Amino acid sequence: MKKGNSSQQSVSLMGRVLSPLLGKGSGRFLMLIGIGLTVFIAVMSATAPYLSPHDPTQIGLGPSNSPPNAQYPLGTDQYGRDLLSRTIWGGRFILLVAVVAVLICMAIGLPIGLISAYNGGNVDRAIALIMDSIYAFPSLVLAIMIISVFGVTIINEALAIAVVYIPSYFRVVRSQVLAVKEMPYVDAAKSVGAGGFSVLLKYIWPNVTSSVVVVATVNFADSILTTAGLDFIGLGLPVTLPDWGIDLTYGRQSLPVGAWWTIFFSGLMILLAALGFSLISEGYAERTNPKLR
Amino acid sequence: MIMILLTTVFIVMRVLPGNPVLLRFEKTADPALVAQYTHRLGLDRPLYLQYFDYLWGLLHGDLGISMAGAFEPVGPQIISRFPATLELTFYSFIVAVAVGILTGVFGARKGGTPDDAVKIYGILIYAFPVFFLGMILQLIFGIWFRLLPVGGRLDPGVNPTYLTIGSIPLQTGIYTLDSLLSGNIPMFIDTVRHLILPAVALGLVISGVFVRMTRTNMMETLRADFVTAARARGLKERTVVYSYALRNALLPIVTIMGLQFALLISGAILTETEFNLLGLGTYLVDRINFRDYTAVQGTVVFLAVLISSVSLIVDILYAYLDPRVRL
Repeated sequence: MKKGNSSQQSVSLMGRVLSPLLGKGSGRFLMLIGIGLTVFIAVMSATAPYLSPHDPTQIGLGPSNSPPNAQYPLGTDQYGRDLLSRTIWGGRFILLVAVVAVLICMAIGLPIGLISAYNGGNVDRAIALIMDSIYAFPSLVLAIMIISVFGVTIINEALAIAVVYIPSYFRVVRSQVLAVKEMPYVDAAKSVGAGGFSVLLKYIWPNVTSSVVVVATVNFADSILTTAGLDFIGLGLPVTLPDWGIDLTYGRQSLPVGAWWTIFFSGLMILLAALGFSLISEGYAERTNPKLR
Repeated sequence: MIMILLTTVFIVMRVLPGNPVLLRFEKTADPALVAQYTHRLGLDRPLYLQYFDYLWGLLHGDLGISMAGAFEPVGPQIISRFPATLELTFYSFIVAVAVGILTGVFGARKGGTPDDAVKIYGILIYAFPVFFLGMILQLIFGIWFRLLPVGGRLDPGVNPTYLTIGSIPLQTGIYTLDSLLSGNIPMFIDTVRHLILPAVALGLVISGVFVRMTRTNMMETLRADFVTAARARGLKERTVVYSYALRNALLPIVTIMGLQFALLISGAILTETEFNLLGLGTYLVDRINFRDYTAVQGTVVFLAVLISSVSLIVDILYAYLDPRVRL
């Protein structure tokens, strides 16, 4: 009996998260395009070793700064590396960093937000003050600092980005919990003896999920942009990796000779990756918030 | 907020491995020399004393001396780098607000296809990496058409001038201001030419948020009763939209301006790198490579103070715009 109940609850929770995909409207259209872009980039990155025609790191493979042609469809960079292969490979680490960062953010930001807001009091106020300070500070400055201190590795880059975006989760979850926790139905649950943990999980959490989806997708887009930015200024991934952000740094040196292909495709991929998640977030917000329609 | 950031930065930068003195020299450096430098920078003293010394200096406006290079004081270095950042962020902000509000109002008024276009613009521009947009602008206007310079603040031949009243130099370092005050029109034109591309790149990227906010607020406001009432009284559509609706729609936008400022600074770091502008962003990136604790700390403190002041100004502005907040 109890088991049936909980599975019914999880179904309705899934349904609640996925319901914006059903029905009509421009929000659904945006979401579908976003999901399409994201899936395309994810599949491309995952299958890069099979897709790419050449070794992305091989120097002197073709002529230097060769424009797109039949042999090198996206051209070559100043070191004669094949840009098609580099573009296909270039998202693997950016996306990996973004995924790890978002997972860390959620793992830390959500529970702190839920518990802190539910318990209230001075501890909650102190945490909120710290989170607001981080939130108001330029994210890239913080990320640069953290990375410079801990050293440049993939994990540290993800950690730096996670720290920067934890407050976004905390703030959204906290404001939702504060709005919901005084509702009569929560009091009712408490009065029939529900413990703090089960109130949080069963009665408050379901009200927070749709905002969390929006924040997480925005967070993905921001993480991708921040990672690319860190790679671009040379404080991200090691420059020997094939990476969109690093390719932009290299391509920048070929700009004065008008070699647009050295920056265009890697930049475009960063844009599309961030755009995919932004579209999902935008569409989802529009579907779940009738005010925006 | 400033204290929290400062203390965190201080502790994190000190506790973790990586010695700025050792970074100056090879690993095989003479230990006596290393000790001498360590002593000179006060790094051999207990951590809490270093911390209180730093705070004490800070109260007197002293940000300490740089740990790399020629041990110059950090404060003047930051001051000399700040005008470039201020100039860039100021004009970017104007671009962002102008583009954001105009397109946002346009979308909200027209509805239909133009509105969808505005919406797509808002989403697309937000996802644009600012340095990529900068590169595209450099490529088109700087390299293909050779209309505008691709980097720096002035052409090498142009010497910056500034106003001197009596014997007091009024050097702001903000070249658009300096050149106008001293009546140096060629310098002003050159400065503006150098500013256009970075300011447009950064401004457009930031404008995404303004477009979205203006559009949604404007749509809600245009449906409000007082707008219908204004229309019913036969006021011109222009008056209704710009004097009645926009003023109300702008209120929530003012509140996010403070947060936009943080976004602007993040973007400025990337834009300065892309356009070789010697501002705070490039200073920070340079200094971090040397593990120059005091310079990094100084920059963070400076930015924290700056952001707090901006949010204070935003609060005052909000009170001015919204009579309900006034006491």
